[in-house]
Formats: sequence, C-alpha cells, structure tokens
Amino acid sequence: MSAPAELARAVEQLGATVPAPFEHPFAGAVEVRWIAPGRLPDACRAARDAGYFFESLTCVDRLAGQGAFELIYTFNRFESSASSRVAWRVWSPAGESVPTVSTVYGAADWNEREVWELYGVRFAGHPNLTWLLLPEGTEWRPLLKSFTAPPASIYDDSQSVVPDDQPAHS
Amino acid sequence: MTNPPIPDALDTYTLNMGPQHPSTHGVLRMRLTLRGEEIVVAEPVIGYSHRAHEKMAENRTYAQFLPNTSRQDYLSGVIYNFAWVEAVEKMAGITVPERALVARVILAEFNRIASHLLWIGAFLLDLGAATPFLYAWDDREAILFLLESVTGSRLTYCTGRFGGLSKDLDADFPRRAREVIAKLKGRWGEFARLIEENVIFVNRTKGIGVMSRDVCLSYGVTGPTLRGSGVAYDVRKAEPYGAYPRFEFDVVTRAEGDVFARYMVRALEMRQSVRIIEQALEQLPDGPILNPDSIGVRKRLKLPVGTQYYAVESARGHYGILIVSEGGAEPYRAKFRTPSYPNLAVLSEVMPGHMVADAVAVLGSVDLVMPEVDR
Repeated sequence: MSAPAELARAVEQLGATVPAPFEHPFAGAVEVRWIAPGRLPDACRAARDAGYFFESLTCVDRLAGQGAFELIYTFNRFESSASSRVAWRVWSPAGESVPTVSTVYGAADWNEREVWELYGVRFAGHPNLTWLLLPEGTEWRPLLKSFTAPPASIYDDSQSVVPDDQPAHS
Repeated sequence: MTNPPIPDALDTYTLNMGPQHPSTHGVLRMRLTLRGEEIVVAEPVIGYSHRAHEKMAENRTYAQFLPNTSRQDYLSGVIYNFAWVEAVEKMAGITVPERALVARVILAEFNRIASHLLWIGAFLLDLGAATPFLYAWDDREAILFLLESVTGSRLTYCTGRFGGLSKDLDADFPRRAREVIAKLKGRWGEFARLIEENVIFVNRTKGIGVMSRDVCLSYGVTGPTLRGSGVAYDVRKAEPYGAYPRFEFDVVTRAEGDVFARYMVRALEMRQSVRIIEQALEQLPDGPILNPDSIGVRKRLKLPVGTQYYAVESARGHYGILIVSEGGAEPYRAKFRTPSYPNLAVLSEVMPGHMVADAVAVLGSVDLVMPEVDR
C-alpha cells in the first residue's frame, strides 16, 4: 500500500518515465506520468505491487497531427478515502507495438484486445489478441479518425444476392 | 490465465450457453468446456450488442450525446445520465444549484433500488424461485411510476441538463416518495423470510463462486460484487461527488465473497439508499432546478482542451467517463469504463471447478447488463 506520490516516485526511480511528448492537461488523477513503452510492464508491476487495481485503458488517435497513438492507463486503490487515481500515459508511434500487461493484470487482457480491434495497436506478447466486440475477421478499425464506414454490403441484407425465382420480400 | 489447459479433446466437450439463453440477461455467450458436469474452461464471448457508443460520442455535441447515456446501462439510466452531465459540468466549470444536486441524489438512489430489485427478482427466477420476482417487480413498478412522474421516462431517462435538471420536482413529490419508501420497507421482512431463510436458495449460493480480494484487484472488479468479497470500496465514499458528502450512509460489505454474500450486499444496500433518500427529502432546498446562466451555452457547449476522468458509483460499480477535448463542440474521444466489463471478465477465473448447474448462479450473481459491457 503506498500513496500515489510514492508510487509515482518509485516509477521515476525505475527510470520508466519519459518527458511529455506534448502538452495536454489531465484532470481527475492525482499523479500523471508519461511512461516509456518498453518500461510499461515495469510501471504496471509497480502499481500492482503497491495495491492498485486496473481501472481503465483508453486509446486516443493522434495520428493526423502527431503520427502516434496516446494510451492512457488508469489505476486506483480500494482503500482510499480520497481519490488516489494514477494515470500512466504512453506515446506509441504508428506501426510500433506496445508490450502487453496482461501478465500483470487480468483486466488488461480484454482492454488490450479492444484497443487492438478498434485502433490496430498491437500488444506484443498478448496471449490471445483477437476480436472482442467486433465480429471475427473484421478488417476495419472503427475508432480511427480516418475511418468512415464499412462497406455497405457486409451486413445489409438488401445488398445480398437473391436468386431470381425468390422474391426478396413478400 | 490460470485456466488449466484442455487435457484431451475426447475427455471434454464444449457447451454454448447463449447467446440466446434465459439466464444470460441479454445477449451473452459463455463458451464452457466441460468434463462431465464440471466446468474446466469458461470463456465469455461478448460484442453481440456493441453499438459503438464511443464512436457516436465523437460525432455528437455534448448535449446531443445525452440520450445515449442511459442506453449503455438501461437499469442505471439515471445514474449514467447524471454521470455524463457531471463530467461535462466539471470540465466546463458550470455550477449546479443546490436543489438540483439534492434532487439528483434522490433520483439516482431510487434508480439504484429499482436496479437491485430487478436483479433480485431475475436472479431468483434464474434459480427457480418465481415468487420473489413478482414481489420485486411490484416494488420496482412503484419506483418507476415515481421516476416517470419527474422524468417522463420509465427506462431510458434523460433528465440531466448541464447545470441542473430538465424538470423540477413538483410540490407533491416528497409525499409520493415517502409513500414508495414505506412500501419498500414493508417488504424487507418478507424478502428476508422468503429468500434468505430459504434452504434451497442458501444451499445453492453459499460457498459458490468465491472471489478473492486479489482476483478482484487483478481484474478491477467493483460494486456490490467486490463488496461481497469484503472490500469497502464505493465511489460515493472514495471520491465523493455531487451532494453525497452531506448524507450519512454505510458501505455494506460481506467477507465471504460467494454468491450469497453478493445477494446480501445488494439487499442491504437498498436500505442504505433509502436512508440517503430520507435525509435528502428532509434537506431538499428550495430554489431553481437549473442554473439560469447555463441555459444559453448548453447547445453549443465547447470544453477547454484537456483530458478529464470522472467516476460515479452505478448500481453495478465504478462507472468512469474519460473525455478528451480538443476545444471543439464534440468530444475528441470519450471512453466509458463500465463496471460489468471487468465483473464479467473475472468469471473466466471464478467459474472453473464449478458444476455446470452453478454456472447460472455465478453468472447471475455479478448482475450483468450486456449493453453496458458491449457499449
């Protein structure tokens, strides 16, 4: 059990933090640190050892302006009487993979699968990086800003080929 | 992760529970690998009601997204609606009149009781007890009728506005609310005799589906499911929001961590919600229900650049909203951290080792709402 400030200091001493790649205020967390992608498992292990639970993983598409994804991991404590949220932010340039933390937190398994299917960010070492919410085999990444719409024929029955001798609707 | 490897394809078989199964409460598929009657591997398959709320949020103004909120968790609609409103208010710096703050607590707690009542009814029905369902439904109906008189809706509430509520509580509301509370209180003894002292229910739920604190921590399990494992974590206490700090209530916990403990936590939590409502009705101040300054800006509200995390306690646990704003009238990114998502994911750890008949009890005990898992 350690306070957010102690955890943040411990992660800094691990050498896992990096300078902010851009300025963007973050509210709602006590401690916010930018973590080197390669050191993310170490930073998450430190949170786990300090008694923090895995709260959320959010991916933000910043490809258009900055050519990278921003990943936001938040952790919290069960015991806290005041808010003790910490946030690890990871800057992941397009095309590069991020190490999985599913070996540290069970919750990361589904969260990473979701980010992969919706954004295409690969999590190296994930045991089962497959579709979670979308149909198996989906090839588009719907939460990318560049995404418009899937081909209409995929799920629209009216686009399917109906044999001539059968009326489409009676 | 700790699931044992499937030993031999000839030794085991796969059973698909769902996606159309009466006890999955929405479209969920549990892919169970069984050896005889024993569950070896349990894998939840989700996504059947994925509607891309997070994508929709990026294409709507903050006000336009309001109707989406209560469609994520249709049983905590009021709470989800207010969570979005409060997250935006926090970023925009909109102040809320006192009367609206207290009214939000009253409506949210009634919504929480209605959700727990539905769960008790449906869960007991899963276990083969039809009578509690009728009692619970009767009580829930009284609450829905009360909420309808304020919000105009029975399920998909959309009464929150940036800076207050869309409609004021009428002068007769406190009387009707107290009537509903009296009705609820009259049932508590009956529920105890009908359910907690029912030997079939007790034998089917005690010692089943035990979750340890460590497993809950690994998966981020929250809400009554976590409190049934002896952890007193409640966002209303940990990160007090709205008018909650001024009301006295206890965080109900049970140490056992089994299905019965989760039942007891929800049953006793309803009494704490009643306690909060009674205090709130006493303290309900007069005054405006909507901040008059916010009325003009709410349609084309633009939030300052930045990221905001905001959390509330829904009927199922920690509901978090993360809004990334780039200064526009629409969110650049909105993430919804829903409580049933980890509460379902953890079942792949909890279910193995149980008999297939217990799968229904364990699955029901975490109180899933699938549209909230899939979003």
